[in-house]
Amino acid sequence: MKNLSIYVHIPFCAHKCIYCDFYSITKTADKEKYLESLLREIEFFAEKYSNGRKVISVFFGGGTPSLMETEYILKIISAIKSRFRLEPDAEITIEANPGTLEKEKIQGFLSAGINRLSLGVQSFDDGELEFLTRIHDSKTAEHAVNEAFGYGFKNINIDLIFNLPAQTKSKWKNTLQKAVSLPVSHISAYSLILEKGTTLYKMVTDKKTKISGQEFDADLYETAINFLAENGFDQYEVSNFAKPGSECIHNKSYWNHTEYIGLGTSAHSFADKKRWWNYSSLKSYIEAVKKTGNAVSGFENLTEEQLLQEYVMLSLRSVGINIEELKNKYSGEWFPRNRKILSEYEKGGFISFGSGIIKLTPQGYAVCDEILTRLE
Amino acid sequence: MNNFRNFCIIAHIDHGKSTIADGLLAVTGTVSAREAKAQLLDDMDLERERGITIKSHAIQMKYKASDGENYILNLIDTPGHVDFSYEVSRSLAACEGALLVVDAAQGVEAQTISNLYLAIEANLEIIPVINKIDLPSAMVETVSNQIIDLIGCDTEDIILASAKEKKGIGEILERVVKKVPPPKGDINAPLQALIFDSVFDPYRGAIAYIRVFNGLLKEKDAVRFFANSKEFLAEEIGILGLSKIKTKELSAGNVGYIIAGVKDVHDTKVGDTVTLARNGADKPLPGYKEIKPMVYSGLYPSVSDDFEDLRESLDKLRLNDSALVFTPETSAALGFGFRVGFLGMLHMEIVQERLEREYNQNIVTTLPNVEYHVYTKKGIKVVVDNPADMPSVGEIDRVEEPYIKAQIVTPSEYLGNIMKLAMDKRGIYKNTSYLDPTRADIQFDFPLSEIIFDFYDKLKSTTRGYASFDYEYTGYRESDLVKLDILLNNEQVDALSVIVHKDKAFDYGRRVCSKLKDLIPRHMFEIAIQAAVGTKVISRSTVKALRKNVLAKCYGGDITRKRKLLEKQKEGKKRMKQVGNVEIPQEAFLAVLQLEE
Repeated sequence: MKNLSIYVHIPFCAHKCIYCDFYSITKTADKEKYLESLLREIEFFAEKYSNGRKVISVFFGGGTPSLMETEYILKIISAIKSRFRLEPDAEITIEANPGTLEKEKIQGFLSAGINRLSLGVQSFDDGELEFLTRIHDSKTAEHAVNEAFGYGFKNINIDLIFNLPAQTKSKWKNTLQKAVSLPVSHISAYSLILEKGTTLYKMVTDKKTKISGQEFDADLYETAINFLAENGFDQYEVSNFAKPGSECIHNKSYWNHTEYIGLGTSAHSFADKKRWWNYSSLKSYIEAVKKTGNAVSGFENLTEEQLLQEYVMLSLRSVGINIEELKNKYSGEWFPRNRKILSEYEKGGFISFGSGIIKLTPQGYAVCDEILTRLE
Repeated sequence: MNNFRNFCIIAHIDHGKSTIADGLLAVTGTVSAREAKAQLLDDMDLERERGITIKSHAIQMKYKASDGENYILNLIDTPGHVDFSYEVSRSLAACEGALLVVDAAQGVEAQTISNLYLAIEANLEIIPVINKIDLPSAMVETVSNQIIDLIGCDTEDIILASAKEKKGIGEILERVVKKVPPPKGDINAPLQALIFDSVFDPYRGAIAYIRVFNGLLKEKDAVRFFANSKEFLAEEIGILGLSKIKTKELSAGNVGYIIAGVKDVHDTKVGDTVTLARNGADKPLPGYKEIKPMVYSGLYPSVSDDFEDLRESLDKLRLNDSALVFTPETSAALGFGFRVGFLGMLHMEIVQERLEREYNQNIVTTLPNVEYHVYTKKGIKVVVDNPADMPSVGEIDRVEEPYIKAQIVTPSEYLGNIMKLAMDKRGIYKNTSYLDPTRADIQFDFPLSEIIFDFYDKLKSTTRGYASFDYEYTGYRESDLVKLDILLNNEQVDALSVIVHKDKAFDYGRRVCSKLKDLIPRHMFEIAIQAAVGTKVISRSTVKALRKNVLAKCYGGDITRKRKLLEKQKEGKKRMKQVGNVEIPQEAFLAVLQLEE
């Protein structure tokens, strides 16, 4: 029986942050219609993909999924449970904004079967949070983590962002320090991505603020990797760190070619060597689901070569390329073809070759994409 | 023969050569107004776009003059760019007269003067015409005086015209008939016909445009071309109307074409003489020259695998461009490619553009250079058309480079700016004369290498577009020249080597290093960029090692976006050229052309 992960996108946000280019909407009036659409989509994809598959993870991402009424979340989980084979120990995650996480919400999520909480903390520096136009301050974030842990969430992730304008190394270190002092088992540390179309992008092009170059970015990244390692968080992907055994199952599905079904606006899916994605606009999504039960706006069939390239790309940025597995699943030629350049990278200290697995070193993670463009 | 008149038009770009020609065709009824597409004589797309005439053609008109006689007028078009000055001289050689057309608002320009001198050398009767007299900005008197100073005519000899309004066209025709002498020649002498142009037709092969000086050419005659002694059968001959008009014969004094199953325009060389295979002339007409390229550049396929494709395209292009010369060469940096010789920068641009547009070739071009004569201490002369082939410093006795004589016509207030520019370009001042109190004609000698890149642009910008410029090649002179190499992590990039004057080497090296620093992407190691003369490093810069290149997040499982990005980046890497372990973007090879001061 194949593993399957399910992603549920909740596009609603209380407000749009300056760096965010996700499809999210601040108007929440359509929540009920959205719920109906999600439920219909579950029906639709269950027909096709529930057979022979067991669901190992469900992830509510956004947007701000915690803005969705708890009963709606419960309904979605129930629908998944009734239409798919949801494993009893499946990881069920919800993303939440520390600023809107009341006690009732926490308890509601727990009773709905959610067992992992991902908090969009971003920073423990109030100046930075204000700059990012987040609606919470560091005290609120700290409180949210403690509350969630107190009420029973044993698996908590916090998202952090580095290379913010005006961020210093010591500010970043303070944020990391605070993070590891809290009862969290997982930390995602993302380098700020300047996306076109965001308010921040305009601020930078208008020269109202400045983002440091790759030297400083790399320094902060290195700081994070080393500091988190010292504090018991192992890097298992470019931006993801976990205490042993607390790696995010859902995240790993993306990296190890596990199939996943994405529900909701702009959600992406991967199954039967196909990738497809939904409409981004709420209106188109709801209309499409109403008409056809799904809202697929585009798809691609992956060739064997593309699958191989994906496998290399995804495993290199996470747990490493298992040479034996790659050979059995895709191609025996890939490794000999790249052996020379790989050994150069090994010499340069960018990768290690432990026990048949090509894994990036901390220094290598920083230049992962560069290495990928050179592998054939 | 007495009723033939062969003439051409000398004019600066935009002074109205084409509109005058159109006017003549319309008044003589050669072309109906409906057929008269604007600027009939320029029929290559590229020429139309650039508004310049690149290849010359000819057209025949019938004209009944006021003396009641019927005349045959052959108007021979001349190329309008200095790159093609030899072709101009051959077109002039086919004529007995020339219209000197000057724009009433612009006055005499450098190109007018240099082509006028060629016409005077060829003993042509000059008929001065001031065109565009209807322009509000026309200064007829000033321009008249300029012309009088130049050719020593009288005011009343100058025809005032406005070709657009069809004013003065009749007068021009009358003057041509009266003033231009009829061709001299002997119809009973052995055939001598001058090829003044040739074009390639994919179905008919090379078509030579000829002026018959002596004898008679008949259809199906066996003919011989002097330059290569090859014989062909004159399958078709004729005159040039709006299109080709087949005739049975072409006699001395006339202008027409010959199609003789020639597969290659190199067999119908401009300036060559056609005679009969049997009982032919023993001597060709004077003035034939092998045209030699003045500027060389490396042309390489963007993707190395496309080398054979590029060769094929160049071969095809060569069929209708007799000035194009190329030989295969290899570069450590760029792989297999060609060293291509051009008549000048315009010719080079045209070839590049045609390769890209008509033949879909993606090419990398190296910095153009002239041909150097290097004399070694052992007394051997080495001809260097690729800086990478320069002998090493220790072996060299002296180096010579080609010089040109430049003519710049400018409003006198810009003299200072031009002097400064000329000094920057190693110009040697020769002489200034005034066309009128406000316009000067200055002469300089320049090393050709100094004017092939950006001289004209700089001249235009330093004179707000008012100066015009023309030049002619004068010969080789010794110069203090050195080869400057560019090294990346101690590996020499052969395609970036240049030959520069010793005094300019340091500055050039510094600018190239700084430009390359911006153009070469960061690698996973540091890259030292060095400019060196011999073993002496004169400038350096560093591309720092790449520290970070990784997408932090694959949003919501959007792997497609990430994979496509990666595929695109890989494609980009493939187009890079590799020297040692450094990858160089293709733009870098030409970007050295655009060095900021």
